[in-house]
Amino acid sequence: MKKFLQLSFLLLGAIMLMNSSKGKNFFPYDYKVEILENGLKVILIKMPSNGLVSYYTIVRTGSRDEYEPGHTGFAHFFEHMMFRGTKKYPGSVYDKILTEIGADANAYTTDDYTCYHLNFTVDNLEKVMDLESDRFQNLSYSEQDFQTESGAVYGEYRKGKASPFFWIWETLCNTAFEKHTYKHTTIGFEEDIKAMPTMYEYSLSFFNRYYRPDNCILLIVGDIDYEKTFNLVKKYYVSWKKGYVPPKVEPEPEQTKEKRTIVKYPGKTSPIMVVAYKGLAANPKDKNYVASILFGSLAFGANSELYKKLYIREQKVLFLEEEFNANRDPFLWMIWAQVKDEADINYVEEEIFKTIEYYQQNPPDSQKLEDIKKHMKYSFLMGLETPQKVASILARPLALTTDMQSIDDYYKTLETISPQDIQSVAKSYFVPNKRTVVVLKGSK
Amino acid sequence: MKRLLLVFSVVLSILVLSNCGIKKMEDTKLLEMKVEGDPTVSFIVWFKVGSQNDPKGKEGLAMLTGRLLAEGGTTFNSYEEILDKLYPIASSYSVKVDKEMTVFYGRTHIDNLDIFLTLFKQAILSPAFKQEDFERIKSDMVNFLEKDLRYASDEELGKAALYDFIFDGTPYKHISDGTLESLRNITLDDVKAFYKQYFNKNNFVVAVGGNFSDNLPKKLKEDLEKSLTDGLETKYPEIKTQPINGYEFLLVDKDCNATAISFGFPIDVVRGDEDFFALWLFKSWFGEHRNSSSHLYQVIREERGLNYGDYAYIETFLNGGALRFPQPNNPRRKQIFEVWIRPVPHEARLFALRAALRELKKIVDNGLTKEQFEITKKFLLNYSLFYAQTTMERLGYQVDSRFYGVKDNGNYIEYFRNKIKNLTLEQVNNAIRKHIQYNNIKFAIVTKDAEKLKEDLIQNVPSPIQYPTPKPQKVLEEDKEISIFPLKVSADKIRIVPVDEMFVK
Repeated sequence: MKKFLQLSFLLLGAIMLMNSSKGKNFFPYDYKVEILENGLKVILIKMPSNGLVSYYTIVRTGSRDEYEPGHTGFAHFFEHMMFRGTKKYPGSVYDKILTEIGADANAYTTDDYTCYHLNFTVDNLEKVMDLESDRFQNLSYSEQDFQTESGAVYGEYRKGKASPFFWIWETLCNTAFEKHTYKHTTIGFEEDIKAMPTMYEYSLSFFNRYYRPDNCILLIVGDIDYEKTFNLVKKYYVSWKKGYVPPKVEPEPEQTKEKRTIVKYPGKTSPIMVVAYKGLAANPKDKNYVASILFGSLAFGANSELYKKLYIREQKVLFLEEEFNANRDPFLWMIWAQVKDEADINYVEEEIFKTIEYYQQNPPDSQKLEDIKKHMKYSFLMGLETPQKVASILARPLALTTDMQSIDDYYKTLETISPQDIQSVAKSYFVPNKRTVVVLKGSK
Repeated sequence: MKRLLLVFSVVLSILVLSNCGIKKMEDTKLLEMKVEGDPTVSFIVWFKVGSQNDPKGKEGLAMLTGRLLAEGGTTFNSYEEILDKLYPIASSYSVKVDKEMTVFYGRTHIDNLDIFLTLFKQAILSPAFKQEDFERIKSDMVNFLEKDLRYASDEELGKAALYDFIFDGTPYKHISDGTLESLRNITLDDVKAFYKQYFNKNNFVVAVGGNFSDNLPKKLKEDLEKSLTDGLETKYPEIKTQPINGYEFLLVDKDCNATAISFGFPIDVVRGDEDFFALWLFKSWFGEHRNSSSHLYQVIREERGLNYGDYAYIETFLNGGALRFPQPNNPRRKQIFEVWIRPVPHEARLFALRAALRELKKIVDNGLTKEQFEITKKFLLNYSLFYAQTTMERLGYQVDSRFYGVKDNGNYIEYFRNKIKNLTLEQVNNAIRKHIQYNNIKFAIVTKDAEKLKEDLIQNVPSPIQYPTPKPQKVLEEDKEISIFPLKVSADKIRIVPVDEMFVK
C-alpha cells in the first residue's frame, strides 16, 4: 500500500467566496471561487500551461457513502456508468467528441469522493463544459448497458485481486471497523459486485441522491480567462437542480481493545504487515491532526531512524512506510512493512511498538522536526508543475473541506507544531486499544 | 521560513512552461533545455549501457550496478547520510535501467542546487560499492522476480513473458532485473568491473533542463569527464529475433483468478523511421493505451464487458498498469507490435483471444477508413501534448531523440505532431500492410489449467460465449463468427511453463 495520498496531507485547503488569492497565500497560483445558486462550488486556478486545461468534477461521494447493505462498491461502479452518455450525447457520441478533441479523460473513485477529470486544450473548454454539464444532469442508460458495464467492473476486481496488497487491505478495513462504512474497500465485496447487474433501479436512485450540484465541486486549472470561464459555467450549470440527500453513515464506536488477524494469500509473497491506529478526521486547523501526520513521517517515514535500521542496516524488510491518510471521518493511521523472513514478523512489530514508546517518552529532536516541515513544503510546491498535477493534488483536500484556504491553514498549523506536540499525540492516539494489526502470509 | 515561502510563491507564480528556449548544442555529450521561470532544475545523465550488455550468466548486472549507484553510499557519505542530506530539500535522484540505456534522474529546487548537485555527482563518480548496500539491492531484485513479478500482477507477468518469448536467443531476452540464477551469480567484484568498463568518460550524455546558469551543463559534463576513467563507447550488440512460424504459445500455468493475454511480433520500425508515425496512428486507432478511443477496448470491454481494457503498442510501454502516458528513456533498436488484453474470466479466454485476432485480421485486410483515419489524426494532434508536460519529461524525450537520431530541433512533441499532421490515409494503410500481419504471432498467456487451454488450441475448439447479462442481437451475431475464428496451432508450438519456473535462468 503505497503512500498514494501523501501530498494530500499537505493540502487541506479552503477558499473564501469570490476571493482572489493573489500574492497572499502559500498556494502559489492565483485563483477565484464562486458558488452558484444551486450550490455548485466553482474554483478556477490560473497558471501558465501552454494552452492546456485540467477540468475536474469532484463528487463528494465515495465508498464511504455506501451505507445500505449489499451495495458495497457501488460508487465505483456508478463512476463507470457516467461514461454511458445521455439522450443528447449518447456514450458513443461522447467518446467520439472527446476523441476528436484529443482529450485525456478518465475518472476514479476513492473512499470519500469520486473524481471525473479531463485534460484538453483551452480552445475546447466550452465543448467540454457542454458535455460535462450534460452528463451530470441528464445521464441516461439502458438496463442492458448497465449490466454490460458490471462485467468491466468485475474485470477490474479480478485484475486487482492478484496483488497481496488487495487481500491485506480488504482484511484490514473489515477488521478495524465495526459500523462505519470504511469497513469495506472502494472496490467492494465480491458478492456485492456479482449482484450489481440486478441493481439498475438502485443506480437511478444513487444518481438522484448524490450527483447534485450541492454535493460537487468544479475545479478548472490552466490557461483560462476568469470572466469567460465563469460565464460559461453559469450558462451550462445553472439548470442543474440541487437536491443532495446525505447518506446515513453510522459513526464508528470507540475501539476498546487491540484487534489482530492473519490473512492467507494464495500466491507467493514475502509477508506483509500493517499496524494501524484509529486516527482523526482531516482538519488542517487541528494541531493534533497535523502533529500526528508529522509524527508518522518522523517515526516511520523515508528518513526515519527505524527505516534506516530495518531497511538499510539490518535489512529485515523490503520496505517500511507510513500511510496517514486524510479522510472525512476518522480513518486509520497505518505503518506498513514487508518482512523478508517470516521469522522476523514479531521482531519488526516490536520495533514499531518500541519506536512509538520512544516518542511517547521523548520529544523528537527539534532539527529533525524542522527538516520534515521543510521537506513537506518543498515537496508540495515542486509538485505543482502542470494543471493536471495541480488539480490532482487539490482534489482530495477540496473533496474533504471544499475550501482552498485550508492549504494555508495547514501550513500555518504546521509551523506551530513543537516537539512536545509530537510527544503528546504519540501518547494520546498511538495506544494499544486503538490498534489493529494484520499480517499477510503467502503460500509455501 | 517565511522568507523562504515568499520566494517560493513568487518563483512558482511566474513559471512559464510555454517559453522553454531550447538551445541546440553541437556537443554530442550535452543537451540543454532552458525553461525560464521554472523554479527547479532537472538532470539526466545517460550512460550507453543497458541490460543487453549483461554478461551471459550475469543477467541483471546492469540494473544492479545502476541501482547500487543510485541507492547506495558513496566514498563521501553513507546511504543513510545521503538520505539525511536530501530529505530536507525534498530532492532525490534515481536510476532507470532498460535494454539500451542507463539513465540517472535528479531534480531539485534552485534554492538547493549546490547541495543537490554535489550529492548527485558523487553518486555517479564515487560509489562506495559497500557489500551491505549490494546485498540489500540484490535481495530487493530477487524478491521482485520470485514474488512480485510472478504473483502480484498477472498482466505484468504476461507482458514480461511475451518479451522473453519473442526475444529468446537475443540480448533483449531477459528483463532488466535478470534471472534468479544469474542474480545469485553476481558478485560485488562483477559490479565494480562493469562500472569500470561502461561508466567511462566516453560513454555518457548529460542533459539539463529548467532554470540554470549558462555554464552549469558544461561544467557538469567536464566534472564527469575529469573523474570517470577512460574507456570505449559501448558497441551495440545485434538483436536478431527468431522467425515466428504460425502461432506460437507460451502458457504460464498459475492458480490465478483470471487469464492475462499478451501477444505480438517484432517489427522493423523504430521512432524516427518514416513508417513509424503512420504505424503510431494505426495503433492509436486500434488500441490507444488506456483510452476508450481504442477499437479493441470498444469491442472487448465496452460492447461485451469481458475485462477492464484492451490496447496495442508499437513501442515498449513500461508500467502500463500504472501510467496513462508513455514515458521516455526506454528506447529500443528493435520493437514489437504488441496487444495487451487485460485479465478475462478463464471461461472467456479463448473467445477474447479470438476476438482480438479477428479484429487484427480485419484491420490488416481492410485498412483504416477515411473517417477512422481523420478522427485519429485529430485525436493525436492534441493528445500528444500530454506525452511530455514536465521539464523532466521533455528532457527525457530529447535524450531519446539523440538515441534514435531524430532531428526534432529540440522539441520532439512538435516534431511528432507535424509528422502526424502530414500523414495521408494511403501512407497509414501502406504501413499497416507492410509491417502488421496476423499469421505469425507469439502469445504469452497467464492462466489456470493451461493443459486444457492447450488442448482447446490444438483442437481449434469453438468457444461460444455465455454472458451473465443480455446483449444486443448485433453483438450475439458477431459472437458466432468470433467463436469459430480459426486458430490453427500445432502441439509443438505450445509450451507450458509453471509460474515458479519463470525467470529462473
